Amino acid sequence: MESRPLVVVGAGISGTAAAIQAAEVGVSVSLIDENPIPNGMVGMNVPHFFGQSLPPGNESASIETFIPTTVALAEAEELGVDVRLGTCVWGTFRNRENSRLLDGPQVGLADTERSWMMNYERLIIATGARDLSIGFVGWDLAGVMGANGAHSLMNRSANLASRRMVLLGSGNLGLKTAKMALENGIEVVAVVDVSPTVQGDAALVEALRTEGVELFTSHTVKEAAGKNGCIESVVLVGIDDDGEPVAGTEKMVSADIVCLAIGLVPNVELLSLLDCELTFKSEIGGYVPRHDDRMRTSVDDVLVAGDAAGFHDGMIIDPDIARNQGRLAGIAASASLGAIGPTEAEDLMSEIRSEILSQAGAKPTEVHTGWKRWLGSFVKAGGQDVLACPCEGVTRAEIIGLQPPRYLEWGSEQMNRRSLQTQVEDNPANPNQIKRLTRAGTGICQGRRCREQAALLLAEEANTPISEIPLMTYRPPVRPLPLSIMWPDDESEQVRTEWPKWFSPNNKVLG
Amino acid sequence: MPTDSAEIVVIGGGVSGLSSAYYLAKAGKDVIVVEKGMVGGEASGRNGGMISERTDEPALIPLAVESVRLWATLEDELGYPTEFIHQGRVQVGVSEEEMGDIFSERDEALRHGISVEPLDPSEVQDLVPGITARTLGGLFFANGGHANPQRAVQAFAWAFQDLGGRLYQNTAVTGINVEDDKVTSVETTAGSMAADVVVAAAGPQTALLAEMAGVHVPIAPARVEIIATAPLEPLFDIALVGNGLYGRQAARGNLLFGGGAHEWIDVDLTSEPGKPNTPLIRNIARRLAELLPAVANTPVIRSWAGIVEQAPDYLPIIDIADNPSNYIVVTASAHGFGIAPATGKVVSDLVLHGDSSIDISGLGLNRFSDLDPRWREERGWVPSFERS
Repeated sequence: MESRPLVVVGAGISGTAAAIQAAEVGVSVSLIDENPIPNGMVGMNVPHFFGQSLPPGNESASIETFIPTTVALAEAEELGVDVRLGTCVWGTFRNRENSRLLDGPQVGLADTERSWMMNYERLIIATGARDLSIGFVGWDLAGVMGANGAHSLMNRSANLASRRMVLLGSGNLGLKTAKMALENGIEVVAVVDVSPTVQGDAALVEALRTEGVELFTSHTVKEAAGKNGCIESVVLVGIDDDGEPVAGTEKMVSADIVCLAIGLVPNVELLSLLDCELTFKSEIGGYVPRHDDRMRTSVDDVLVAGDAAGFHDGMIIDPDIARNQGRLAGIAASASLGAIGPTEAEDLMSEIRSEILSQAGAKPTEVHTGWKRWLGSFVKAGGQDVLACPCEGVTRAEIIGLQPPRYLEWGSEQMNRRSLQTQVEDNPANPNQIKRLTRAGTGICQGRRCREQAALLLAEEANTPISEIPLMTYRPPVRPLPLSIMWPDDESEQVRTEWPKWFSPNNKVLG
Repeated sequence: MPTDSAEIVVIGGGVSGLSSAYYLAKAGKDVIVVEKGMVGGEASGRNGGMISERTDEPALIPLAVESVRLWATLEDELGYPTEFIHQGRVQVGVSEEEMGDIFSERDEALRHGISVEPLDPSEVQDLVPGITARTLGGLFFANGGHANPQRAVQAFAWAFQDLGGRLYQNTAVTGINVEDDKVTSVETTAGSMAADVVVAAAGPQTALLAEMAGVHVPIAPARVEIIATAPLEPLFDIALVGNGLYGRQAARGNLLFGGGAHEWIDVDLTSEPGKPNTPLIRNIARRLAELLPAVANTPVIRSWAGIVEQAPDYLPIIDIADNPSNYIVVTASAHGFGIAPATGKVVSDLVLHGDSSIDISGLGLNRFSDLDPRWREERGWVPSFERS
């Protein structure tokens, strides 16, 4: 099996900074990133929300050549970091209770050809954050995508073929996406926010206004409509303080892309698989790993950095926040590997910590009230017969009714008396029950598009704070991986020949 | 003062406990079910969903045959979907070794009067389009199929409640009170529950519960794994066994297959045991791709693990303890899901009449009377030491 003292997952700002920091003190590092994402993954809305399908003109937008070469990544390679692009990490495994037979802690890797395992001594998870998606009428049309999805497509194909964008969310995420769209020659026809005021950085707002971008506060999307499965127009509507649409304020705009930039959710899949303790912190995006001031999680040898450790809108403006977290994790990992002495490490880390303190901007505030407001406005403007889980075709109404999937064609009086409400009377609210009974969250995007919606709906029905709703479980592979790629070329002779036949006296393996 | 009381307290909200509770409630009994987590949270909601007449385990046949019969009308009976599909089970041989198993299973089936048809490779191909060309032959068991474990367990739970049954979820048992050779009450995290009869149907925890009542139930817990692919167009509707795997195509179209090495573990009474997957899921994926090469490019999107318990002879234990004499033990040795409807009938019979109309003579506790107390260590059915 391949083996590396330090494995860093994610070659974004924080992961690259961590790898550089460790390489500088002589640690042998692998820095792994799934970009450029194969087209197939894009179709599955993994890792970002790209939408139903790519908007017309982009299907073959051949995206193959984009490599996230940044100055920092070049520096990492210069320092001898083993940089692996186009390689996804689909699983993390360690020896622990009820799993004691592993051959050491390891990550599962795959490219478009094969999969393999790699042992690590220290692991830094810098997997970033994914798009928050909440459904409105027509969000299943091609051309609706998340901010990260849009960034990725704009980066890759240079000219995203779409021409007119409606952007939802006036935080820094939305404003930056709007700016990026303008730079790519896309007209931003509206920046929409449910809140009465623009959320993001004043300078960014000013820059957009100068470009003639119209901002619609206290507005939401009533519906998106189009032909042949593609968006052509969007109806915006003004909302009052309760999120109710205000009659007579509808405004139809023509657009071929709607970008959801209303929030990002830390990518904690790989941390969850390792059973790192996750706590709910609304101000940094929901479930995030508990970590100390060296970025160490609750699990030995596993560290975290960047958006995966918790994301807030200020991090869009100030990339040094993620970079410094990465540097801290890189030093902490190196020190624990003995590559630098404890005193030297402590000095370096306090330097970084004071830098972090001196740069600290406004304290981030909780985000879920805003998410709830978006969902509430979509419900009030467009109803509950809107897909919450596009993969499995499950609507919000079906989740609330806890209805079996339509393909079962099931109807009974007894079933009609059951709902999410009656379920939470029986048992503390758990989104895994929604998954089991409605199938929302069991599709090919692995719940990336419906998790937050399911949690918000459940909190509402259970009349429980969102912080009390557990995380819908993550299981490996956390990337959809073809059987033929998961196939272990390196399968041992023993596993091959001594494969047990269920439980039986002839079972020679493990027992 | 007890918090609650009932004629029967069932410990365990898995499929065996809930089926038992359902048939008892249907017979007019006042029943409480106590579950430490959520219904079907453990093996009952995590198994492969296979249902068959179990020709490989003769002692199980009467129970399994009755179960298949009950599954056929269960949705109507309960009023909720189970996704039961009664299209039979195909066991394929892709190696000489598997063909050997097939011949002995066929002989066993015929000996017990169970419907079985040998299949040549082209007949297997008809039933399982896209199956490997390495297929040497197979067996078709007409009576059997599969269901959705999570839906079926929930169906039993809801139907039980519809009959007035009381279900305490997230309630762990902390003690069992015995007086004059009878269980009087069960102590739980939600208070004390008085009962005339206690049914312990708590999977791997059944042994720990039995210990509290002074009954020895020899079982060992193990962790096993299953993978799930993205949905495919309908390929086959039978339950499929072959190439070291067992599984099915779900109503939605996903292929769900498990198999391979298990890991012996220990459990406790109150916490949820960890159920991590391991890189074994890659080996399962390979075997599935080998078995169905036509769909080898289908993505795996999920996997899970479950914890099952095994008795020394790989068979369920369903019996009334000698002492305390109002204590019934139900543990299934990983056969629980398929036989659950009949298990419920048997338990209901045992409570109501002290005897069962279905033959469970091979499933009693007395078969272990000579078992060495150190049997787990002797067999190596114990958790392994951690590797460095």
